[in-house]
Amino acid sequence: MIPSLALTHIQAFLLFAAVISLAFGFLGRRRPKDRVKYILWSFFLFLLIGIGIGWAMYPFSR
Amino acid sequence: MSEENNETLPLEQPPSNQDTASPVARDSAPSEGKAWGVAIAGWLLPGLGHALQRMWGRALVVFLTVGLLVIVGASMRGNLFTSDGSDAFDTLGYVADLGAGSFYFLARTVERGGADVSHAGGDYGTRFLATAGVLNLLAALHAYEAARGRKA
Repeated sequence: MIPSLALTHIQAFLLFAAVISLAFGFLGRRRPKDRVKYILWSFFLFLLIGIGIGWAMYPFSR
Repeated sequence: MSEENNETLPLEQPPSNQDTASPVARDSAPSEGKAWGVAIAGWLLPGLGHALQRMWGRALVVFLTVGLLVIVGASMRGNLFTSDGSDAFDTLGYVADLGAGSFYFLARTVERGGADVSHAGGDYGTRFLATAGVLNLLAALHAYEAARGRKA
Protein backbone atom coordinates (compact mmCIF):
# COMPACT_ATOMS: atom_id res chain seq x y z
CA MET A 1 0.00 0.00 0.00
CA ILE A 2 2.83 2.39 0.75
CA PRO A 3 5.46 3.11 -1.92
CA SER A 4 8.98 1.98 -1.27
CA LEU A 5 11.42 4.77 -0.49
CA ALA A 6 15.18 4.60 -0.96
CA LEU A 7 17.09 7.43 0.67
CA THR A 8 20.83 7.82 0.72
CA HIS A 9 22.63 8.09 4.03
CA ILE A 10 22.93 11.86 3.82
CA GLN A 11 19.31 12.31 2.72
CA ALA A 12 18.04 10.26 5.66
CA PHE A 13 20.37 12.15 7.97
CA LEU A 14 19.21 15.57 6.76
CA LEU A 15 15.54 14.60 6.86
CA PHE A 16 15.86 13.23 10.38
CA ALA A 17 17.70 16.33 11.61
CA ALA A 18 15.19 18.70 10.01
CA VAL A 19 12.09 16.93 11.32
CA ILE A 20 13.37 16.52 14.86
CA SER A 21 14.66 20.09 15.00
CA LEU A 22 11.26 21.37 13.87
CA ALA A 23 9.46 19.37 16.57
CA PHE A 24 11.93 20.41 19.28
CA GLY A 25 11.62 24.06 18.27
CA PHE A 26 7.84 24.07 18.52
CA LEU A 27 7.72 22.10 21.76
CA GLY A 28 10.59 23.90 23.45
CA ARG A 29 9.92 27.52 22.59
CA ARG A 30 6.81 29.68 22.47
CA ARG A 31 7.68 32.85 20.58
CA PRO A 32 8.12 32.50 16.78
CA LYS A 33 11.49 34.23 16.76
CA ASP A 34 12.79 31.96 19.52
CA ARG A 35 11.45 28.94 17.69
CA VAL A 36 13.27 29.81 14.47
CA LYS A 37 16.52 30.37 16.35
CA TYR A 38 16.12 27.10 18.24
CA ILE A 39 15.27 25.12 15.10
CA LEU A 40 18.27 26.45 13.21
CA TRP A 41 20.62 25.91 16.15
CA SER A 42 19.34 22.39 16.76
CA PHE A 43 19.63 21.53 13.06
CA PHE A 44 23.18 22.85 12.97
CA LEU A 45 24.15 20.82 16.04
CA PHE A 46 22.61 17.68 14.54
CA LEU A 47 24.76 18.15 11.44
CA LEU A 48 27.89 19.02 13.39
CA ILE A 49 27.63 16.10 15.82
CA GLY A 50 26.49 13.60 13.18
CA ILE A 51 29.30 14.42 10.78
CA GLY A 52 31.73 14.63 13.69
CA ILE A 53 30.80 11.13 14.87
CA GLY A 54 31.10 9.93 11.26
CA TRP A 55 34.61 11.26 11.00
CA ALA A 56 35.52 9.89 14.43
CA MET A 57 34.45 6.40 13.30
CA TYR A 58 36.27 6.62 9.97
CA PRO A 59 39.57 5.03 11.20
CA PHE A 60 37.64 1.96 12.38
CA SER A 61 35.60 1.52 9.22
CA ARG A 62 38.10 -0.70 7.42
CA MET B 1 11.83 40.80 28.56
CA SER B 2 12.59 39.56 32.06
CA GLU B 3 13.13 43.11 33.22
CA GLU B 4 9.68 44.04 31.99
CA ASN B 5 8.23 41.12 33.89
CA ASN B 6 9.99 42.16 37.05
CA GLU B 7 8.54 45.63 36.76
CA THR B 8 5.00 44.47 36.23
CA LEU B 9 5.02 41.45 38.49
CA PRO B 10 4.05 43.13 41.79
CA LEU B 11 0.95 44.66 40.20
CA GLU B 12 -0.16 41.31 38.76
CA GLN B 13 0.39 39.14 41.80
CA PRO B 14 -2.84 37.80 43.33
CA PRO B 15 -3.49 38.21 47.05
CA SER B 16 -1.51 35.72 49.09
CA ASN B 17 -4.44 34.84 51.33
CA GLN B 18 -6.21 31.81 49.84
CA ASP B 19 -9.51 32.69 51.49
CA THR B 20 -9.78 35.77 49.33
CA ALA B 21 -9.24 33.87 46.06
CA SER B 22 -12.20 34.24 43.72
CA PRO B 23 -14.37 31.21 42.87
CA VAL B 24 -13.34 31.59 39.23
CA ALA B 25 -9.69 31.23 40.16
CA ARG B 26 -10.40 28.13 42.22
CA ASP B 27 -12.44 26.56 39.40
CA SER B 28 -9.68 27.13 36.86
CA ALA B 29 -7.10 25.23 38.92
CA PRO B 30 -5.44 22.51 36.84
CA SER B 31 -7.06 19.09 37.19
CA GLU B 32 -4.89 16.00 37.43
CA GLY B 33 -7.56 13.88 35.77
CA LYS B 34 -7.89 16.26 32.88
CA ALA B 35 -4.13 16.34 32.47
CA TRP B 36 -4.00 12.54 32.23
CA GLY B 37 -6.83 12.63 29.71
CA VAL B 38 -4.92 15.11 27.61
CA ALA B 39 -1.76 12.98 27.79
CA ILE B 40 -3.58 9.81 26.75
CA ALA B 41 -5.34 11.65 23.92
CA GLY B 42 -1.99 13.00 22.75
CA TRP B 43 -0.52 9.51 22.80
CA LEU B 44 -3.43 7.94 20.92
CA LEU B 45 -3.48 10.57 18.18
CA PRO B 46 -0.30 12.64 17.86
CA GLY B 47 -1.06 16.32 18.40
CA LEU B 48 -4.50 15.80 19.93
CA GLY B 49 -3.24 16.58 23.44
CA HIS B 50 -2.15 20.03 22.30
CA ALA B 51 -5.21 20.55 20.11
CA LEU B 52 -7.48 20.00 23.13
CA GLN B 53 -5.67 22.91 24.77
CA ARG B 54 -5.96 25.07 21.66
CA MET B 55 -2.23 24.94 21.00
CA TRP B 56 -2.86 24.66 17.28
CA GLY B 57 0.68 25.23 16.02
CA ARG B 58 2.19 22.63 18.29
CA ALA B 59 -0.64 20.19 17.55
CA LEU B 60 -0.10 20.52 13.81
CA VAL B 61 3.66 20.16 14.03
CA VAL B 62 3.48 17.11 16.30
CA PHE B 63 0.92 15.48 14.00
CA LEU B 64 2.96 16.18 10.87
CA THR B 65 6.39 15.29 12.24
CA VAL B 66 5.29 12.04 13.89
CA GLY B 67 3.25 11.15 10.81
CA LEU B 68 6.13 11.92 8.46
CA LEU B 69 8.56 9.85 10.50
CA VAL B 70 6.16 6.90 10.50
CA ILE B 71 5.47 7.15 6.76
CA VAL B 72 9.15 7.47 5.86
CA GLY B 73 10.12 4.70 8.27
CA ALA B 74 7.50 2.34 6.86
CA SER B 75 8.41 3.31 3.29
CA MET B 76 12.03 2.43 3.98
CA ARG B 77 10.81 -0.95 5.23
CA GLY B 78 11.87 -0.40 8.80
CA ASN B 79 11.17 -3.01 11.42
CA LEU B 80 7.99 -2.54 13.43
CA PHE B 81 8.50 -4.50 16.63
CA THR B 82 5.71 -6.59 18.08
CA SER B 83 4.88 -7.70 21.61
CA ASP B 84 6.35 -11.18 21.06
CA GLY B 85 9.96 -10.02 20.98
CA SER B 86 12.70 -12.49 21.79
CA ASP B 87 14.96 -10.23 23.85
CA ALA B 88 15.10 -6.97 25.79
CA PHE B 89 16.02 -4.93 22.73
CA ASP B 90 12.93 -6.15 20.90
CA THR B 91 10.83 -5.20 23.92
CA LEU B 92 12.40 -1.75 24.07
CA GLY B 93 11.82 -1.34 20.35
CA TYR B 94 8.19 -2.35 20.81
CA VAL B 95 7.71 0.20 23.58
CA ALA B 96 9.30 2.90 21.43
CA ASP B 97 7.22 2.00 18.38
CA LEU B 98 4.03 1.82 20.43
CA GLY B 99 4.67 5.40 21.53
CA ALA B 100 3.31 6.54 18.18
CA GLY B 101 -0.17 5.47 19.33
CA SER B 102 -2.63 4.91 16.52
CA PHE B 103 0.10 5.60 13.95
CA TYR B 104 1.83 2.39 15.05
CA PHE B 105 -1.18 0.34 14.04
CA LEU B 106 -1.55 2.40 10.87
CA ALA B 107 2.06 1.66 9.96
CA ARG B 108 1.52 -2.05 10.54
CA THR B 109 -1.42 -1.87 8.17
CA VAL B 110 0.26 0.00 5.33
CA GLU B 111 3.75 -1.47 5.46
CA ARG B 112 4.06 -3.51 2.32
CA GLY B 113 6.07 -6.70 2.32
CA GLY B 114 7.22 -6.46 5.93
CA ALA B 115 10.56 -5.22 7.21
CA ASP B 116 13.83 -5.49 5.31
CA VAL B 117 16.79 -4.57 7.49
CA SER B 118 19.31 -6.35 5.29
CA HIS B 119 20.08 -2.93 3.78
CA ALA B 120 21.01 0.29 5.53
CA GLY B 121 17.75 1.89 4.39
CA GLY B 122 15.67 -0.62 6.32
CA ASP B 123 17.76 -0.07 9.41
CA TYR B 124 17.29 3.68 9.08
CA GLY B 125 13.58 3.08 8.73
CA THR B 126 13.59 1.20 12.02
CA ARG B 127 15.17 4.24 13.71
CA PHE B 128 12.64 6.58 12.09
CA LEU B 129 9.77 4.49 13.44
CA ALA B 130 11.24 4.31 16.94
CA THR B 131 11.95 8.05 16.90
CA ALA B 132 8.35 8.76 15.89
CA GLY B 133 7.15 6.87 18.94
CA VAL B 134 9.54 8.48 21.38
CA LEU B 135 8.84 11.93 19.95
CA ASN B 136 5.11 11.38 20.39
CA LEU B 137 5.65 10.31 23.99
CA LEU B 138 7.64 13.51 24.55
CA ALA B 139 4.84 15.55 23.02
CA ALA B 140 2.25 13.79 25.19
CA LEU B 141 4.34 14.55 28.28
CA HIS B 142 4.57 18.17 27.16
CA ALA B 143 0.80 18.35 26.74
CA TYR B 144 0.37 16.79 30.19
CA GLU B 145 2.61 19.39 31.79
CA ALA B 146 0.81 22.19 29.98
CA ALA B 147 -2.56 20.84 31.18
CA ARG B 148 -1.27 20.84 34.75
CA GLY B 149 -0.51 24.52 34.42
CA ARG B 150 3.23 24.21 34.16
CA LYS B 151 4.95 26.68 31.89
CA ALA B 152 5.17 25.06 28.47
